[in-house]
Amino acid sequence: MKHYFSLFTLFIPLLAQAHYIPAKDTPITLNASLAATWRSDNVVEENEYWQVPGSNMGGDAWPAEEGIQVDEMTLGLGIRIDENTYGIVEVGTHASGRSDHSSVSLEHAYIGYTCCEEFGPLVIEVGKMSAAFSPSLSSHAAERLTSETSLAADVFFGRYFHDEGARLMWHSDSLTAGAEIWKGNAFPATASAGYAWDAFARYQWRGNNFSLSSGAWLYRSSAETRADHRYGGGHQHTPVAVPGETIAVFPDTRFTGDTDVYGIHADVAYTSDDQYWKSGLKAEFMGMQMDGTLHDAIGRAADLDSDQTGAWAQPYITVKNHTFGIRAEWLTSDNVITGAPANQLGADSGMANPTGFEPSRYTAIWLWQWKETIALRTEIIDDQSLLEDNLRFGVGIIWKQTLWPFNGNSHH
Amino acid sequence: MVRILALVTCSFFMSVLLSGCVPESKTVIDDQGARISSFDWNIPDSIPFPKVPANNPMTEEKFQLGRHLFYDKRLSSNGDISCSSCHEQDKAFSDGITRATGATGDVHPRNSQTLVNAAWYQTLTWGNPLLVTIEQQIMLPLLGTDPIEHGINEANFEQILQSIQADPVYNELFAAAFPQQEDPLLGEQAWNNSIKSLASFVRGLVSFNSPFDRGELNASAKRGERLFNGEVLECFHCHAGYNFSDATTDRETQFSQLDFHNTGLYNIDGSGAYPEPNTGQHEVTGKSEHMGRFRAQSLRNIELSAPYNHDGSVATLRDVILNYANGGRVIASGENSGDGRMSPVKDGFIVSFNITNSEVDDLVEFLKSLTDTSFVTNPRFSNPWLPPSSQQTFTESQEP
Repeated sequence: MKHYFSLFTLFIPLLAQAHYIPAKDTPITLNASLAATWRSDNVVEENEYWQVPGSNMGGDAWPAEEGIQVDEMTLGLGIRIDENTYGIVEVGTHASGRSDHSSVSLEHAYIGYTCCEEFGPLVIEVGKMSAAFSPSLSSHAAERLTSETSLAADVFFGRYFHDEGARLMWHSDSLTAGAEIWKGNAFPATASAGYAWDAFARYQWRGNNFSLSSGAWLYRSSAETRADHRYGGGHQHTPVAVPGETIAVFPDTRFTGDTDVYGIHADVAYTSDDQYWKSGLKAEFMGMQMDGTLHDAIGRAADLDSDQTGAWAQPYITVKNHTFGIRAEWLTSDNVITGAPANQLGADSGMANPTGFEPSRYTAIWLWQWKETIALRTEIIDDQSLLEDNLRFGVGIIWKQTLWPFNGNSHH
Repeated sequence: MVRILALVTCSFFMSVLLSGCVPESKTVIDDQGARISSFDWNIPDSIPFPKVPANNPMTEEKFQLGRHLFYDKRLSSNGDISCSSCHEQDKAFSDGITRATGATGDVHPRNSQTLVNAAWYQTLTWGNPLLVTIEQQIMLPLLGTDPIEHGINEANFEQILQSIQADPVYNELFAAAFPQQEDPLLGEQAWNNSIKSLASFVRGLVSFNSPFDRGELNASAKRGERLFNGEVLECFHCHAGYNFSDATTDRETQFSQLDFHNTGLYNIDGSGAYPEPNTGQHEVTGKSEHMGRFRAQSLRNIELSAPYNHDGSVATLRDVILNYANGGRVIASGENSGDGRMSPVKDGFIVSFNITNSEVDDLVEFLKSLTDTSFVTNPRFSNPWLPPSSQQTFTESQEP
């Protein structure tokens, strides 16, 4: 029991985003979270497509919309099956640019097995789950300081990463290492091109006042005729505009080739002796390389060699129930497109960035933990992810609660 | 120790984010010369250049020689047929009749096509997937025997060539078009040069200056454009892209899927049969699933090329639209009677739809907006044998 208690304690910072192992003394847990935000403006107009210059987006990276939006809702069930085995099921919704994309989906359904205390221990998980290699990638809007996912996650991974696969992790006192293999359903991979995989390592330390978590990871995938399923990817419907307006048909450009993404991340924090205030910095840097072919339905094809980087840094300070923070984000792209249709496919795919534009976004956040299970969030976002700046405001509410066993506490 | 570690971690991130580790953004586009051509295509920047065979690069001299040959009736067995006999400029290089008659009286089984932007077609005839260059296609009307069009054959070959060789105009034109050849009018070489020049002229017949291209649609045409691009009528799937045909290729196209379509025009035997010999792609491949499949024609200048469909059996654009609205054509009596709507080999996009008379008018108005009057009056494409003052108003009686 002592071993597993230490194991579970170890997992808490590692898997704080959406992963946890039900403790033996609470074999069944049911957690819920909800984040909803009102925003003052759209990133793009209703008849436009959100395409960050220099990148080939996809997945679920929908643009933020004016008005009230449920950013995320999750309902997670964890069951401790026996001494070594547990099961996790989580359903959720994500904000979407289209009503038919907002339905509840199964995000987690996996079985975990822990063993081999003498080696570490080892944890094996199999099923549909979020990736563990990047803490920010699997974080929910209810768990982040900001309501919006990082630009790097949006551009490189299509915002979320849920796929079927297997994970093997090894732990020591302060080190965690693991590898994951995926079916390839999650952007930027496609299942038809074979398995994707990743490997990661992480160092964690917690002292009296300081805490530190940092790590590095590598993700490799292949894609075959990968589409931007936000707007294309199937039969192209002619968009219908209100009278007097026009909508351009989304150029359904595909990518076939390899995508490698690597990253480093860190989370350092200092907590005062009386725990009245806490300050820290979270940051992540990602680099992505794409090597393959851009092509479309009418037989045009051009070679693509792309190096992109994305980074974000988020200093913050928490005083009692109030957290103030700033998140700064940057993207760069160095793309070479070769072939007769390079101009057209570069423009259609979003990879062309002729002016060398470097997208960025700055978010100022005030989060007030109003009640133990409810927080209020205010954001000011200077969004320069597109050529035209967008300044918007957001006011949101966050609810996180352990529904079972019922004790009125928030989960995690 | 921990403070140092935290400091190092923070410093590392800040240095990564703020230093030269993050490369500057840039995009290098290498189109490998896709927009380079020594020939003046006179097309908008938005239109990709067409593919040109490596053994017949475009030159103005070959274009001009081909223009003379195109309008020359001496290139026929009876001295009465030129390319322009069935491809008249004022009709967008079609002929306005159901089916044309060749030099020996053979009636062509198919309607004469327009020669609008032929350089951008994947294939060159109504249903033959094997004819992929204009050079290949031109051999058929000149030398073909089923049907006989120009009627050039082994018996009259030398005589026709001699008449060309004897013309000082051609001596000058051939020499200019093929300066590297010692005698470009010599024997078989002269024919090869003629084919290449005719192909160059046809390849240079370019039309991208309609009201549609200029964004000058009237209100009715705009309504028709929405119908055209709508999911109800589905027109845009087969008549796709800048040339309004899914059989389009250009320098940017690396691989091409050859698309032919059965529009439910006939269903003679209940299995989708078309009247012989006009069975489209099936005529070449013999495959039953290819029965009645024809290439989607470009709709540019379609207003000028009536009658319509592969055999000219549909008189007006309105009738074409109504056939589609019915999901196929019903022929109640006669040897070709049958219900095209029930054809099992009909294209999936040919489904019935409801359309009002005013909507048909709007759609026709949109199609008319694809008429490029500068194309059909351009002196550059007109008969060079006519006096300059009359080159825009071509009449057969004035041909050489």
